[in-house]
Amino acid sequence: MIYAGIDAGSRAIKIVLMDADKLEIVGKGITDQGVEQDKLASELFDRVLKYGGVKRQDVATIVATGYGRNAVSFADTTITEITCHAVGVHHLVPEAMTVVDIGGQDSKLIRLDAFGRVRDFAMNDRCAAGTGRFLEVVAQRLDVELESLGSMAARCRHPAAISSMCVVFAETEIIGLLVSGTAREDIVAGVQAAIAKRIIAMAGRNVELPIIFTGGVAMITGMDAALETALGKSVTISPDPQMTGALGAAILASNRKLKT
Amino acid sequence: MKTIIYTCPYVPAEWIAAHGLHASRLLLDRADSSFSTARTEGVCPYVRSFIHAAMNDTEADGIIVTTVCDQMRRAFDLLVRRCDVPAFLMNVPNTWQSLASQRLYLDELKRLSLFLVRAGGQSPPDDVLVETMLQYDEARRSIRAARPYVSARRYAEVMAAFGMNGPSELPSDAKGSEPLSGGVPLAIIGGPLMRQDFELFDVVEQSGGRIVLDATETGERGMCAPFDRRRLQKEPLIELADAYFGSIPDASRRPNSELYMWLKHELSGRGVRGIIFRRFVWCDIWHAELRRLKDWTDLPVLDIDTAGDNDTDRHRTTNRIRAFLEMLQ
Amino acid sequence: MTETPKRITLGEWDRRYERLQRAGLSEPDYGGPLGRHVEDGDQRLLKLRYDNSTAALRLWNFLLTEEDRLHAARAAGNKIVGTMKDLGTIPVMAYSFDDVVAFYPDGAWWIPCVMELGAGLLDIADSLGIDESFCPVRAMLGAFVTEAHFPVPDILICSVGATCDDFSAIAQRLNGLGYPIFWWEIPHRRRPEPNETTVNLPGGFLAPKCQVEYVKSELERIQTVLEECAGLPLDEAKLSAGIKQANQVRRTLAELRFLAFTAEPCPIPVLEMLIAEMLAIHFCSDRRETIEVLNALLEEVKARVRAGTGILDAGAVKIFWINPVADLQVMNLLEDCGGRICGTEYLFSHALDEIPEDLPPLEALAQMALADPMVGSSTDRAERICSDISRFGAEAVLISRIPGASHCALEGQIIGEIIREKCDVPVLEIEIPPVTDSIRPTVRTRLEALVETVKARPRAQRKQRRNQ
Repeated sequence: MIYAGIDAGSRAIKIVLMDADKLEIVGKGITDQGVEQDKLASELFDRVLKYGGVKRQDVATIVATGYGRNAVSFADTTITEITCHAVGVHHLVPEAMTVVDIGGQDSKLIRLDAFGRVRDFAMNDRCAAGTGRFLEVVAQRLDVELESLGSMAARCRHPAAISSMCVVFAETEIIGLLVSGTAREDIVAGVQAAIAKRIIAMAGRNVELPIIFTGGVAMITGMDAALETALGKSVTISPDPQMTGALGAAILASNRKLKT
Repeated sequence: MKTIIYTCPYVPAEWIAAHGLHASRLLLDRADSSFSTARTEGVCPYVRSFIHAAMNDTEADGIIVTTVCDQMRRAFDLLVRRCDVPAFLMNVPNTWQSLASQRLYLDELKRLSLFLVRAGGQSPPDDVLVETMLQYDEARRSIRAARPYVSARRYAEVMAAFGMNGPSELPSDAKGSEPLSGGVPLAIIGGPLMRQDFELFDVVEQSGGRIVLDATETGERGMCAPFDRRRLQKEPLIELADAYFGSIPDASRRPNSELYMWLKHELSGRGVRGIIFRRFVWCDIWHAELRRLKDWTDLPVLDIDTAGDNDTDRHRTTNRIRAFLEMLQ
Repeated sequence: MTETPKRITLGEWDRRYERLQRAGLSEPDYGGPLGRHVEDGDQRLLKLRYDNSTAALRLWNFLLTEEDRLHAARAAGNKIVGTMKDLGTIPVMAYSFDDVVAFYPDGAWWIPCVMELGAGLLDIADSLGIDESFCPVRAMLGAFVTEAHFPVPDILICSVGATCDDFSAIAQRLNGLGYPIFWWEIPHRRRPEPNETTVNLPGGFLAPKCQVEYVKSELERIQTVLEECAGLPLDEAKLSAGIKQANQVRRTLAELRFLAFTAEPCPIPVLEMLIAEMLAIHFCSDRRETIEVLNALLEEVKARVRAGTGILDAGAVKIFWINPVADLQVMNLLEDCGGRICGTEYLFSHALDEIPEDLPPLEALAQMALADPMVGSSTDRAERICSDISRFGAEAVLISRIPGASHCALEGQIIGEIIREKCDVPVLEIEIPPVTDSIRPTVRTRLEALVETVKARPRAQRKQRRNQ
């Protein structure tokens, strides 16, 4: 039986098709989010089905998650991304106890129990300063590709101290630092540190290992190291970190089907 | 009848009422203050709304502000400069364990009386105060008794109506016969709620939960304990002071250990399985308790912060509550 | 007097120090080159500029060795009192004992700046749920947890009530971590009711007698606690003697402040004046030495005034500064932008006024505690500031907002409004985070704009104000 998980995030839509009998992913895809969210999700769904050699009618249940989940009209049900990320990470890394998810516009910290169920969670979805948006702003200001930020940060000597709580004012700070001659590498490292520090406030003092890092920001080199420094504990990037929400949704879709 | 408006639970409504004035505890709307000072970053949304309400209230003859919160203390400075309605700043001590602080609270009630008289009230003889206190006590008793039979939202509305209008017959829809059941039992803890915040109760129910303990300032936590009837007859003002100052726990108290003692008792007594922690961005007093609460309790705690931006908040809040209930279910 | 007064860098100071040493410089035992403090981790010192007098050298060394003194006091078996928030009252009582040292753990708010955030204190505060939406005093939590800065005091005494919420919340958090705190209440200072007896407090505020009596009763409780801690009684004679010593500090400071704010050209930098004023709060853990340090500074300033020399050009715009800053570099920046200090109100003016010596000591201290500018209304605070603006002849006012401080959100604007109404001077309000490196251009622009605004005023108007 094939089940589908659709993670309609604020910046990207991700879809996973799962064969529940074989516990295998038979198709997945990603596209940028836009205004016509339902249409974009549907088109992506069709592409993923085609590449996976699956027909729509073969999909038993579709679960949508993420910021735009309610816009996915063809989903059978919706589940929040917190639950889905937890399930997705637990599937990939069964021993995970803490999940740090940093996306384009929000960040979350999810504590799991030994069975991979959500025990507790905290979110920052008010302030862009602890999210991937901050890195985008830096990349734009420095006129570099987002993907190159990691290698730049690796060359830093002394991370710049970024003091703003707001990414809008932080942009002004970055300009100020450039004008004052601060090395670009130090600025990037400073921004990464600032993002990571937001996680400390959500994490508190007791963070259980293993810590698994997911979300689009996990794919930017150096962010895991910044998180490790902030948390004082080792951090592991999840396999396929952008797809854990969609994967979790697909797994939950299969659980629901089994229940019915 | 002249009206005195206030928001703080440490202001005894019966004291105002006994002076022959209408005590109206405001249920604030989320509103941006037209006064630019209040829109500065760092101003608590609740304080901002209070300033707006106080400046625009055409029926108030007096405003009482307390020192429980520093931002309110500064809001008073603003009102004195800008608002034509006379305002009174009541010093409610943060320390509560010493006789001196208890006496200070009592002295402040006496000083409040001078303000109420200036506002058109009359200093009440003891028998008038006793009668008023009994009315309020009875009303609180009825409200508390109604809790198991009404939805959390309705309960909050009934408490708010009591604060705004004083004792009255309990609405018929608040007199149920069968206690409500179902849903994951939750507590909501925090400072005061505003009118639009009552939507939270609906969202919780729609998501499969049920608020069984409203430990916000505008909820049960902000209601004083029942009066000692014997003492009330002998020394009504002292009993009033003791009941209000002595029985309303709050995060602003120093130390605030009694809040946790109260929570421990109530949380276990009502079988609560999860806590919604509701706070305003820029409310330091409650913000500082979030992590402490999480460390103190084994129950999962959901943080819901609001900056007073209605539309953005709605989606965020709903998402978090849904995730929380998914976790608990 | 130093040859040509000026502000110099740390490197220049270390070279100067070598020359002074060769010339036979006499120093207290905490003396030495300033550069050694950088090795201890105080990186920020590399970015500051300092007055080049030996008096300033002594001042800085005195400040930067406070932790050593506290640890030495602990090692010597002295009792250490951590007093919080009241800023100037309880230490007067504590230092009336011979073997008791008092300090303000809240002063830890400077550590992240001076160590350029290297101390990790703010990260610890974050992990305790006290994030950057709280004021920099949150660094205190980290200092207690690490115990890497000051020794944990034998007793903590904290005022609450008419204080700021974020500090109160931070102190409660500390208490919640298991540090017992002796809480005492400072009521909101109010105007007397018609039927109440009025007391004229030092500094010009009014309060009802009942409030003075209340605070006095709180100080009596504190006295008992201090006596238990010290194992000795604190009688009126001792307390009176302690008040006299505190007043010696306050009188010296008053004279220093008047010269610093009014002499032309400016005889001493704003940064050294900030440090000097801070000494009044708890004597930097050595009351006797505080008197010596301030006397030396006063002598230097007097000599400069007699010689008609100073550290800035004549005509620097006279700025009244309200609220303390965590990033000391901003104090240098004010002068770089053409301003000079001409009045300050760092939220502890009650620690600068003389304590009445013609009253029973506890009553005198109660009056001082009630005279705290934070304890009363913003209007009261503004009126005192206006009075000082006139007294010192300030031409503009700078209100620095402390990020996260709950009282700043509304208070700054009220104070600014009143000052504009009464004094007709431009007022600038800016937020200064603990490390301002990245927003330096923004801060500089604003300071320069303030200076330009004043300079653009008619010459006659400026002259009249400066000569007030």
